[in-house]
Amino acid sequence: MLRKFLTLVTAVAAVLSIAACEEKLDAGSECPLLCPQQATQFRDTTLDAIVEDTTVVGLPPIGSEASLMLSSHGDTLETRAIIRFDTLPQTYTKNSLDSTIVNIDSAILVTPIVRDTLNPIKVPITIEAYNVDPGAAIDSTPADTMTSSIANLFTVDRLLGSKTFAPESILDTLRIPISTDTVLDRVRNGTKLRVGLRVRAGVGVNLQVGTTQAANPVTLRIIASKDTAAQAVVVSPFSSTPANQSFLSGPLADYTLIIRGATPGSPDVLAVGGVPSRRVFLRFDVPSRIVDSTTVVRASLLLTQFPNRRVSPRDSFYVFPAAVLSQATISNVTNALNFLGPNGQFGLDSLLLAPGDSGVKSFEIVGLVRTWKGQTVQTSPRTLGLRSGVEGSLPGEINFFSTRAAVGLRPRLRITYVPQQNYGIP
Amino acid sequence: MMTLQHRASTSASRGRTLASLASVLVALVPHLVGAQSNLSSQGFGYPPGQFSSRALGTGAAIGEIDPLSPINPATLAVLGARTVYFQAQPEYRTVTGPGGTERTTTARYPVVFGAIPVGASWMISIGSSTLLDRTAATTVTTTVPISSTESEVTTTSSKVDGAINDVRIAAAWSPTSWLRAGVGAHAIAGHNRVTLEQTFQDSIQFASFTQQRLLGYGGAAVSGGVELVSKNFNASLSGRWGGNLHLSVEDTTISSGRVPNRFGVSFAYTGIASSTIAVRTSHDSWSALDGLGSPGMKAVDAWDSSIGGDFAGPRFGNQIIFLRTGFRMRTLPFQAAGENVDEKSVSAGLGTQFASNHVLADLAVIRAVRSADIEASERAWTISIGISVRP
Repeated sequence: MLRKFLTLVTAVAAVLSIAACEEKLDAGSECPLLCPQQATQFRDTTLDAIVEDTTVVGLPPIGSEASLMLSSHGDTLETRAIIRFDTLPQTYTKNSLDSTIVNIDSAILVTPIVRDTLNPIKVPITIEAYNVDPGAAIDSTPADTMTSSIANLFTVDRLLGSKTFAPESILDTLRIPISTDTVLDRVRNGTKLRVGLRVRAGVGVNLQVGTTQAANPVTLRIIASKDTAAQAVVVSPFSSTPANQSFLSGPLADYTLIIRGATPGSPDVLAVGGVPSRRVFLRFDVPSRIVDSTTVVRASLLLTQFPNRRVSPRDSFYVFPAAVLSQATISNVTNALNFLGPNGQFGLDSLLLAPGDSGVKSFEIVGLVRTWKGQTVQTSPRTLGLRSGVEGSLPGEINFFSTRAAVGLRPRLRITYVPQQNYGIP
Repeated sequence: MMTLQHRASTSASRGRTLASLASVLVALVPHLVGAQSNLSSQGFGYPPGQFSSRALGTGAAIGEIDPLSPINPATLAVLGARTVYFQAQPEYRTVTGPGGTERTTTARYPVVFGAIPVGASWMISIGSSTLLDRTAATTVTTTVPISSTESEVTTTSSKVDGAINDVRIAAAWSPTSWLRAGVGAHAIAGHNRVTLEQTFQDSIQFASFTQQRLLGYGGAAVSGGVELVSKNFNASLSGRWGGNLHLSVEDTTISSGRVPNRFGVSFAYTGIASSTIAVRTSHDSWSALDGLGSPGMKAVDAWDSSIGGDFAGPRFGNQIIFLRTGFRMRTLPFQAAGENVDEKSVSAGLGTQFASNHVLADLAVIRAVRSADIEASERAWTISIGISVRP
């Protein structure tokens, strides 16, 4: 009996001891009565910390847009989409055998579009396709992207085809038939086919067309035979000019051409988006006693927006703050803005803004400011870029006051931080 | 203005003054760091007592004459042989207050040491025991002022790990059969790892953060004790005289105090074969730690008194089963909400020997009630298991 009792007691004690190895400490219901410790003090300060701010027009560079901007706003804005098919295949496959293309049954531009759920198109639109191959005279020179050279090619005699789309049919892909004779001629002669797209509508419209940059380009789909066994020939955009400069010619496989409505930058305005697209560069000077010696819990870039009602003032889009990933050795602002980190990096959050809005807008950049802690300005420059989420794709332009504006309108940086403290000492 | 968002108060009956005090604290203290949310581990923590499982079984009444309790160095002489001792002591704690009832479990390993005989009448030992255990964790959700015009809901998790330990090198001398004497040199060392994590309900604007800080403690003390032994009685007394005690962070001294002095005395009746009935009292000058903490921390000098017995019980084969019981009352070192915290406990225990008396095992179960003149109380079950091996 005693042996059993002792065994039981020992077993219970052992079990409880082992179970207690896994502590359960979390409490708190009796705070603050039983938690007489020092407080975490938050400090909040707003600094004129922006020592350099500028707008760089032309970013991203031509051909690097995530989608092509096809806009029509009358005298205010007119843009076209240029797609180059500089190499066309001369054969098609039928019953696993290659055959020379001698006839074309249909040629269709399969045009992926970015569905704009924020600002859907509500009217019928007509898309026209033009032959914008300038010919041997200028196509091998840098002038082949000049507006003056290409804009004049959108003529009736160069019209390859057109199609009108009802608003409800504007979903994800538009199919535009084009002239089979022209395509066959180019195929047979081994010459380039360059297509310019133009949109027409009763009101101002913006259409975002897929690009090679986003791996979702406009393709040319050729059916070379009525025989159902004949496989379609799908041609992707390709630019052969400028010759032997693939770094330049690659992006030119498809690009946006601004016919009318390009606006210059202003030194007094910080502008994001627009036509041509532009980005904002900001350099900060935040005291080391805050960045390096405290814990920053909030950093808000406060920019005062003023209305820009030139194009699509109510069409909102996201503006992203992004870290400039280049070191201080990249002193050219344009180059630095080419090294923006991806959207959302460091937890940087976007704001949904419309060009016609106004007032103070707060970009939360605490994740970036924290990366500056303990880093020199050489290795981690206190810089930030702002870019539109639809840069080069939609014409909307968000305007903010710069540091040259009146005192109350200038960019500021609000920082909330926890100073160093003797926490933990009872 | 801040409002606590944890469980609502269940009673408003016990003193509106205290409730008002709590409300004022809620309003004035914008955020809490390193909180305990219990009565026992306020300040620098809870003192397990530096007693062996055997002594705890008697309510610590035999602490001054127990060689396995690193209190009185004179008692080492009783060991007589090489000994290694280890003790595990989990505590299951329940705190009840206006916020409801919370249960926590704390693992403690409060005593470990070894001793070896030198010559015919000397024993020396080295060991470590927990002086103050500060292990605790809290999670509190509050609305705190961020600026003069803004407030934000935040959740603060605070965890403190670690203890202040007493590392003792001691020697005992037994010149005659009726006298034992001993001295000890103490290094007071240890650390508290304080981890603070703060998250915000608005995770877009605000970024959560975690801060960690290692508080180090360093100090010294000496101790001495004597034990007078007769056929039927035993009288023991011991004391510890504390030197400076420093609190440092990354080699920078933040504050200083002194190691608390301690004085203890006990009388035991040993006239019953293999049994002991003892009373003990001791006084700790915990207020010496005041300078070590923040200005708001208040340590109080305290008495620790107990009565208990260690009785030879039934035999288990050739082994005697020792049965123990005791009662203890003391004041804990650190005030809670400005009030002294008292602890009363009853204990029971047993012990026996194994492996041809090479292994001694002791078990104690302690039921403690801790209270202060505030609207919160604490109860705890503590199980103490001690194993000593004589190779």
